[in-house]
Amino acid sequence: MKSLGLIWRYLRHNLMSAMAYRGAFVLQVFGMLLNDLMLLVFWTLLFQRFPLLNGWDLTGVVTIYAVSASGFGLVVAVFGNLTRVAHVIASGDLDYYLALPANPLWHLLSSRTNLSGWGDLLFGVLLYVIVVPGGWQTLPLYVLLVILVALIFCAVGVLAGSLAFWLGQAQDLAAQWFNATLSFSLYPVDFFPGVVRVLLYTLLPAALVGSVPARALLQFRWQNLGLMVVFTLGAMALAQWVFFRGLRRYESGNMIVTRG
Amino acid sequence: MKPLRRCLFIGRIAARQQLAYRGEFLMRAVAMVIFMGIFMALWSTVYTVSGNATESGYTLRDIVWYLVMTETVMMSSSRIFLDMGEAVRSGAVAYTLARPVSFPLFQAATSLGTSAPRFALNLATGALVVGLGVGFGAGSLPGLLAFLLLAILALLLDALIGVLIGLLAFWMEETQPVFWIYQKLLFTVGGLFLPLEFFPDWLRTISRWLPFHFITYAPARAFVAFAPGEVARLALGQVLYLAFFGTLVALVWRAAQRRLVVQGG
Repeated sequence: MKSLGLIWRYLRHNLMSAMAYRGAFVLQVFGMLLNDLMLLVFWTLLFQRFPLLNGWDLTGVVTIYAVSASGFGLVVAVFGNLTRVAHVIASGDLDYYLALPANPLWHLLSSRTNLSGWGDLLFGVLLYVIVVPGGWQTLPLYVLLVILVALIFCAVGVLAGSLAFWLGQAQDLAAQWFNATLSFSLYPVDFFPGVVRVLLYTLLPAALVGSVPARALLQFRWQNLGLMVVFTLGAMALAQWVFFRGLRRYESGNMIVTRG
Repeated sequence: MKPLRRCLFIGRIAARQQLAYRGEFLMRAVAMVIFMGIFMALWSTVYTVSGNATESGYTLRDIVWYLVMTETVMMSSSRIFLDMGEAVRSGAVAYTLARPVSFPLFQAATSLGTSAPRFALNLATGALVVGLGVGFGAGSLPGLLAFLLLAILALLLDALIGVLIGLLAFWMEETQPVFWIYQKLLFTVGGLFLPLEFFPDWLRTISRWLPFHFITYAPARAFVAFAPGEVARLALGQVLYLAFFGTLVALVWRAAQRRLVVQGG
């Protein structure tokens, strides 16, 4: 509960800071919204020629975008440092978070917001409202799925970033791991051959932040939701365990900085 | 000749900077492997479902090799606008005024120098991955030579547009959203993901008049379906757009200099 309060206060503070440069904030949000929308042009053209590909149609792929973009946008908007964990560890910046009486992982993640993430979140929500069938009855399920997707992205970001405890300069590797999960998540998992599919349910859990929640929203099955919940809890527990295990190896950079 | 020699020198330094961070540089190959893996899976599905050997004149092998070539150009782009924005915000742009090469020319040369080693790495990686995946039999030697020529002009055009976006930092706090839109125009009407032959007629007609397809579609098309007449037409289009964007950069830089206030230091 204490960590939730911290995350909430940081979110408010980060949003207020962003509002100090309102023009830049609005430009980033709507720029990202337009950016995401243009990605759908490719799928629209493809499905015009081939209306059904391995059980997926345009609505199915748009639903993948709706849940994946919402979950990704939510997690980087609230945990703006998620993609910088490896950098913070390698540069010795973690000292700041260790010296304060708060959970260092949640504190590190939430102390920054990613402005374009709000654009991704807005894009995902708009797709859900305009395109995804089922109407408002599926709203609670959509919200739950988006939170689960956000937490899986969070687990991947923390696991990838924690590599820096063992490897030192792991920023590029961490970025590739996280970006690969995001890239694969935007394609239906049924397009990929068996071996790759195993990877997409485990090491790069792209299926669980794209196809699986999209299918749960389109044709609800308890098995799909159960799989999502169990995977999310397991991944989050593993990510926390790895981070704190790695923290034992952390060596301070003895850097002296003044923070406002 | 002097400005050209200076630009080559600046480009060489930028290329060496890329190679200095070998780990980061080689990690780019991983991204290329991932994207090619995704495209091979996607297009294999499309051709299996359609049951046709060719779609809009492309076989599966053609389309995958087309994507290697478009991605090679795209992923070699330098994002020079980020450095330019930082230079404008921090005031470091003032130091560049004393250099024997103008700020935009310096940035364009840096951009090309940064792109060169990335281009070689992406092309080698992409070719190896899809060669093993769908076979090496696409394209031809004249097609490869035409690709290299059009790719150089494409990267030059991309560098000029990157510099133009970077110069917007004199008016805008954040130029990244402009880049996102430019990048997605390359993805769509530029033919990065889908050759123009797959477009409906109206969209293909519009796309052929826009500059974006000269950056991604043109070099890739020259490789998979080499035709001297079409290559000459595409190269001419690239040169005309280079002249247009070169003039635009010069005009915008002149306007930007008027906004520049150097506060001593």
